[in-house]
Amino acid sequence: MCLTAFAGSVGCRLFAPDPVASDVAFPVLPGQSTGVFTTERPTVAAAVNDFFGRRPIEEQPFEFPHNIHVGKQIMCTVCHEGVESGPVAGLPSVSTCMICHAAIATDRERIQRLTALSEQGIDLAWKRVYGYVKEAHVKFNHAPHIRAEVECATCHGNIGEQEIAQRNVDLNMGFCVNCHNANSAPVDCLTCHF
Amino acid sequence: MDRRSFIKLTAITGTSATLASCGNPENELIRFIPAEDIVPGVAVWKPGVCSLCSAGCGLTVRVMDADADVVRDGQAGVVRIAAAKKLEGAPDHPVNHGGLCARGQAAIQVTYHPDRITQPLRRSGERGDGRYEAVSWEDALVEIVSRLDALEGAGNQRALACVMRGGRSHRSALVQQFLARFGAPAPIAYELFGDDVLRRANGLSFGREQLPTFDLAQAMYVLSFGADFLGTWNSPVAQHVGYGLMRQGRPGIRGAFAQVESRMSQTGANADEWVPIRPGTDGVLALGVAHVLMASERYPAAAAGPAGALIEGWSAGLVDYSPPEVERITGVAADRVERLARQFGDTRPAVAMVGGPPLAQTNGLFTALAVNALNALVGAPGQPGGVFFTQQLDVAAAAQVASPEQAAAATIERLAAEGLSGGASPDVMFVDGANPVFTTPPAWRVRELFEQVPYIVSFGSFLDETSILADLILPDHSSLESWAEALPESGVMAAVASVALPVMRPLHETRATPDVLLEIGRRLQRPLELPWQTFDELLGASFTNLPSTSDFGAFFDAQETGFWSGTLPDSLAVAAARVAAPGPVAFAAPEFDGDAAQYPFHFLPYPSNAFLDGSLAHLPWLQEMPDPLTSGMWSSWVEINPSTAKQLGIGEGDVVEVASAHGTLRTGAVLSPGIAPDIVAMPAGQGHRSFTRYASGRGENPVDLLAPVTDAATGAPAWAATRVRISRVGPPDGRLILFAGGSREHLEEHR
Repeated sequence: MCLTAFAGSVGCRLFAPDPVASDVAFPVLPGQSTGVFTTERPTVAAAVNDFFGRRPIEEQPFEFPHNIHVGKQIMCTVCHEGVESGPVAGLPSVSTCMICHAAIATDRERIQRLTALSEQGIDLAWKRVYGYVKEAHVKFNHAPHIRAEVECATCHGNIGEQEIAQRNVDLNMGFCVNCHNANSAPVDCLTCHF
Repeated sequence: MDRRSFIKLTAITGTSATLASCGNPENELIRFIPAEDIVPGVAVWKPGVCSLCSAGCGLTVRVMDADADVVRDGQAGVVRIAAAKKLEGAPDHPVNHGGLCARGQAAIQVTYHPDRITQPLRRSGERGDGRYEAVSWEDALVEIVSRLDALEGAGNQRALACVMRGGRSHRSALVQQFLARFGAPAPIAYELFGDDVLRRANGLSFGREQLPTFDLAQAMYVLSFGADFLGTWNSPVAQHVGYGLMRQGRPGIRGAFAQVESRMSQTGANADEWVPIRPGTDGVLALGVAHVLMASERYPAAAAGPAGALIEGWSAGLVDYSPPEVERITGVAADRVERLARQFGDTRPAVAMVGGPPLAQTNGLFTALAVNALNALVGAPGQPGGVFFTQQLDVAAAAQVASPEQAAAATIERLAAEGLSGGASPDVMFVDGANPVFTTPPAWRVRELFEQVPYIVSFGSFLDETSILADLILPDHSSLESWAEALPESGVMAAVASVALPVMRPLHETRATPDVLLEIGRRLQRPLELPWQTFDELLGASFTNLPSTSDFGAFFDAQETGFWSGTLPDSLAVAAARVAAPGPVAFAAPEFDGDAAQYPFHFLPYPSNAFLDGSLAHLPWLQEMPDPLTSGMWSSWVEINPSTAKQLGIGEGDVVEVASAHGTLRTGAVLSPGIAPDIVAMPAGQGHRSFTRYASGRGENPVDLLAPVTDAATGAPAWAATRVRISRVGPPDGRLILFAGGSREHLEEHR
């Protein structure tokens, strides 16, 4: 507790606003947001979990079955299209789903929910399953790995067999460095941390 | 626990615990389907145009995917957009050559400002109390059209007035067309630190009523009278590039540079020689230099041509301006005058420039004419290393519409004087980009005029001192969200027209002001029949007629690079000014407002490096940028010579009261050896009553002290002609904020 108080008092000193005349007020106008500050983590528990490297299973907004789609021989890159054009694979928007599901399996309850969302213009707020914590300062770029023909499954495990995507490969530094060493890829710090 | 873990744990628990109670809006927001195709993680650089000052620098804008908070159909959510993330100078742009000043870097904060006006607003409270209600664009347009139709119905079209920023652009051309076709007077351009005096002088001396361009890259000697050309004056980035080449761009050659001014500016701090001078006497020094040059017979008086003929006694060798006489008037020692003259005359090419405080005096026009004559004497105009005038695009000619009648536009001062004395007063007022309530001397009573105008429409993006008086606010897009354009007046040899497509979609329910004006023009009872549906049609019509060797035409190419540059045919260029010359002018002692016994100090407000006249004080990056000379930030201060301060018992940081015959303010004192003992200086820009959370109530506005003195020829405010007294009020109270402790530490270290 005293730690928190200490941090709070330091914070107050650092961010104390400069003297502003009290008779002046800037009005908040219709349409303006009142805050510009969002928390880094939603709860204290999330922060503590992060600290100890525990990653609870994320609840996805929609129960997307990877196994069905991969089973139908659909390439990963059909939906994660950014992987071939940029550093980030990207999580598809509802519009991507509707490319096929405007016509396919429209009688299923899940697909009808999807169609309804699409009609309302609401997207799915996917939770990232694989990703680095900010404190790691890792800048991962898919492109060189695609060029080196690393299989998706090397880092993303058996995701193609999973119902709802779950992380089952721990992408820690040891994992990356082992693979880089085995393939004579550079292991200089600045390769990943910059 | 090691130190690293301790810090990590402290940071995590500290922030989380403190903020947990604030809720977690981000995680609860719904996500909308993006409206555009975005490749995540890939940056695209697009051309842009900086809109913060009239220099018209070209930008290159880094655009990348980002999450934006938006409201759709009344529902708050998050959407992935392609967002502008970083501004840099465009490498190939002929004005800034890849450079961008700190103000331009901060321009990105305009778009993402938390206090930006996001939708049309209608006043719901008393005028000036800042209470507004949301209104739809449709209702807002219906309201404004009915107001204008009512003026038309009453045959009172001249009661529509428009106040905007100065400078030539397609936007101002459109506003002129709108007003002329409606039957209203020409728009009133107002800028506190405008250069109208210099423009007028250049019109008289050289037939070009515009700001000059200096070929610094090839100059060998620069004599600058008060021009802060590396800080805020004219085209600072272009001048920075030229200055760099002058000093270091030629192997083995380093151009010399002397700055004449009474308060050391950022530019003066770069000079080889700094020449302090009495306020308002710069023209006398220029003529003293000319006198010495003519006496040496290397430079015959006739060489100056018409520019020399404007100065009384020129052809007779300026007998009244001998070095001892110059010393008596200016305070610059006679032998120093001779030495400056020798350097100026012997070093080829040499150029003189004038701007800022010397022209903000009652004799400003004389000073500008004197420096112009000096330039003409040594052959600087049109010569490498000298002074040039950039061709200006005539937008009306390029867009093939009739140019509106060139009746002399009113000044805001005259508008207020007439309106408040029972004369003609506007019924409807448009305000676009100007904040005259903040930047005019209080004795002009501009605020009172605005309070009396029945209907004010502001196109501003922020609630500043002027737009808070508006009845209707129709917020403009930011310059990154709309077509951006500029017609640089100076800073480049060839004519330049910059244009850039929107680099990102609008974040809010805003609309581009030129498009709004075109829409209003179509909806009026008697439509204005402007020949364009949208602003980009006007840009296209104008750019298509520019000379181009490309198969695709000038407009297409300009969109690719961000600018067109070349030589304009005479039919598209603004013709040389035909200004009736007054008789030859002689030095008249500058007049200062305030009795010298009661108000012993000259008061010198100056454009802040961060905020210019205050129009940028809402950008937090600029608030936290230390002033290059005093290191002041987030605050106001007054600069006092240490010897004066000692006499008055004022220490660094002490609260002092500065009073003129027109107002009083209290602020922190900064002791600065780079200022004459009888002058106190203060940066403009702070002291906003209403201008977002970052600027409101912070510091003091030096304009509040200014006397309503103007230059007689142009009506431009003589903002350096006020006298003040100064007294200590108390010890430092934290209102003055200096970066890293400031100069007191420095003084103590060197005691």
